[in-house]
Amino acid sequence: MQSSSSSSHQNAASSSSAHLPQNGNTNGEEKDAKSSHVLLPFLQSQSQNTLTRLYQKPSACLAVFRLLSPLERQLVMNLLWLDSAISPATMAAWVVRDRRNVYDRAIQELMKLHILVNSTTKLVLNNTFKASFRHALTGGGTSGSFGVAADERQSRMSLGVEQLDHFALERWETILHYMVSSGTGQQPERPSKGVLFLLERSALMASMYGAMQITSTGFQFLLHSPHDQLWDLLLQYLHLAQERDMDLVDVLSFLFMLSTMELGRTYTASNLTATQKVMLKDLRDYGVIYHSDNNAGCFSPTRLATTLTSSAPPLPTGRSTGGGAQGEGFIVLETNYRLYAYTDNPLQTAVLNLFVTLKYRFANLVVGSLTRESVRRALTSGISADQIISYLVTHAHPQMRKNEPLLPVTVQDQIRLWELEKNRLQSADGYLYTSFASQADYEFVLEYAHSLDVVLWEDPVKRCFFGKAEGHGNIRGFIERRTGGAL
Amino acid sequence: MHLVVILDLSKHWLDAQSSLPFSRFLVHLQAFLNAYKAASTDSQLAVFAAAPGRNLLLYSDHEKGSLNETDPNAYPSFTLVGSTIAEKLAALYSDLEVLDEPCSLVGTLINALCYINKAITTGQCTPETDEPRILVFSVSPDLSTSYIPIMNSIFSAQKLRVTIDVCQLLGPETVFLQQAAHLTGGSYLQLEATEALLQYLTMTFLSPPSIRATLAVPIQDRVDFRAACFCHKNIVDIGYVCSVCLSIFCQPIPVCSTCRTKFPAKLVLQLKASQLPGITPQTSQASSTRAASAPSRADAPGTADFDVSMHSDPNSLPRYTRNGKA
Repeated sequence: MQSSSSSSHQNAASSSSAHLPQNGNTNGEEKDAKSSHVLLPFLQSQSQNTLTRLYQKPSACLAVFRLLSPLERQLVMNLLWLDSAISPATMAAWVVRDRRNVYDRAIQELMKLHILVNSTTKLVLNNTFKASFRHALTGGGTSGSFGVAADERQSRMSLGVEQLDHFALERWETILHYMVSSGTGQQPERPSKGVLFLLERSALMASMYGAMQITSTGFQFLLHSPHDQLWDLLLQYLHLAQERDMDLVDVLSFLFMLSTMELGRTYTASNLTATQKVMLKDLRDYGVIYHSDNNAGCFSPTRLATTLTSSAPPLPTGRSTGGGAQGEGFIVLETNYRLYAYTDNPLQTAVLNLFVTLKYRFANLVVGSLTRESVRRALTSGISADQIISYLVTHAHPQMRKNEPLLPVTVQDQIRLWELEKNRLQSADGYLYTSFASQADYEFVLEYAHSLDVVLWEDPVKRCFFGKAEGHGNIRGFIERRTGGAL
Repeated sequence: MHLVVILDLSKHWLDAQSSLPFSRFLVHLQAFLNAYKAASTDSQLAVFAAAPGRNLLLYSDHEKGSLNETDPNAYPSFTLVGSTIAEKLAALYSDLEVLDEPCSLVGTLINALCYINKAITTGQCTPETDEPRILVFSVSPDLSTSYIPIMNSIFSAQKLRVTIDVCQLLGPETVFLQQAAHLTGGSYLQLEATEALLQYLTMTFLSPPSIRATLAVPIQDRVDFRAACFCHKNIVDIGYVCSVCLSIFCQPIPVCSTCRTKFPAKLVLQLKASQLPGITPQTSQASSTRAASAPSRADAPGTADFDVSMHSDPNSLPRYTRNGKA
């Protein structure tokens, strides 16, 4: 009597440490960000009713218009001053033949935003949008959607442009600095509760062992440009607003109104809705507006607000540049993996510390080098090689810009190799089948396992193979049936 | 994006029978400029004016003032453009005493090119991404004396990769501006109906060149390539071209006025004898077209009348001596 298949079940390699970095993810995101704004998908997901209510404000129309692609903008303009609908064929006659697909996509996008009326037989703008946008361009109307300036007495109590910049920078860096230094044992200044809640909700930070810890998404977030970071947070804020039963139209139109305001001017808060007054406090915590409690009747937008729908840098550039991502670059990277960063900003140093082994610090200079350890540390916290490289590229010192390619190829390749190194091991749950009595038995079972496509590894000499966990039931049944048949 | 607008403020606006009063034009222009500024905060704008006897900068993003008070119903930077232009225009007209002086449209064109060149050299504008453009609103007919400076500015524009768009609001077609638009890849619009001016402007001139690759704009199917002669500044159909410097003349001359090349007297006489009745200096551009003159040229074979664009036959080129050396 042969005990033909005493398959020993071993639970091999648990997947606790399995974290497969999402390759190429960031690249795709960046491309999308260039082609269309992060807010547009959110707007497209809203109902026609919501959007039409939003389009009642000329300032919202103007801001949404700015988020569109250049071709979409031109299409809107072509239709704006027409009183009646035109047939799609009339407009299509202007389209260059081999660009037809680009044009069709633009029309689709505009329909999804309900700027164009959803129809295949005629081409006409949404009436509300048309009326408001005409008002925006020609002035007039009574909506007051570009903000009512505060009276002189209140304006005098507010801040100048420089102080506003300082305020915005300080607030914004507090948030980023808190994120970057969480878990390092430092005790930086905590942002307000609302901000912390938002950070947790957006999965940028997670509460672990009673303290807030930055997550891998959070690490990736830190390497984005300030403009993207701001919109990431605001998008989360919008999702949150929906849950808090705030009127989304109020929230959006206030953001758009801020984006069309003038920097350095004070606006009165008296004609804001209740929702918008709540937002004043929230947005102050992000540094988007300045609003002081002893002068509660008015507020001033900071540069973060006025550049929401433009490509101008959202944070002031200059010596004390903080996130200053879009200002002058400051990083010099050499072929020997040495990295010199001309900065005195603790935030930038902290971000660099994510993937650089820092060696010396001087008054205006930080020296370090990219090492296998430091890059691996970043990779384990969820940052991808592409993100590191793109951060180094965007922040490269003007001197570096003379190089072609910008970063030394050896260093770039090595960072990528280190990432690949990390992907050498893959883990999967499964069962190891051993101790087959005969070669024939082994091959028979193996063939069955192959037909189920669950074999991960096999070794004919030792007569064993490793199968995926989900195939175990079937294989086990198969072996038992066969054993039974032999009996 | 970078747009420089040139306004022609000549007295032709005052023509009584004009279907487009200046005030109405300004309203449409303001809406057009706002539409341009609306696209993005990066949209750079400058407005130049060619006024009788002078030209001046009406508005520029680089030297803008600030508004004292805001209108809650209007976007501040739109208001700023409108009010700045209105103020400057008012100041200009209170200053002007003589309306009869000619407007130097070409001078303004050159000013605009200098402005763009400065923006490029100071790094405020990159030709590849910003696609600098000049949009000329002209109301005057061609000033044939300005042929050479216009051609020179066209070449500079080509070098700077500046597109020149032309909108002829009133009056007859202008040959030179048509050529300017054609040679720089711009669009030329001879306004026929003034009612829907803004729609015309939006469809034709609002889109930057990169969008025009997808959404076409009206282009000229026929371009008038005639040149003006260097001697009498007449626009000529057929002229005589100096074989050394390519200067154009409406009649045979013994010495080239530009490069001082001497032509043999015999040749000049021969040319004068064979001169066709259709190409005397007095001929207006309307009376003879290129097509009409073609058969008459065939009547005089072997003579060396040189078409502006046709001097390919080396045997018919006049021999010349330079600086007296035989």
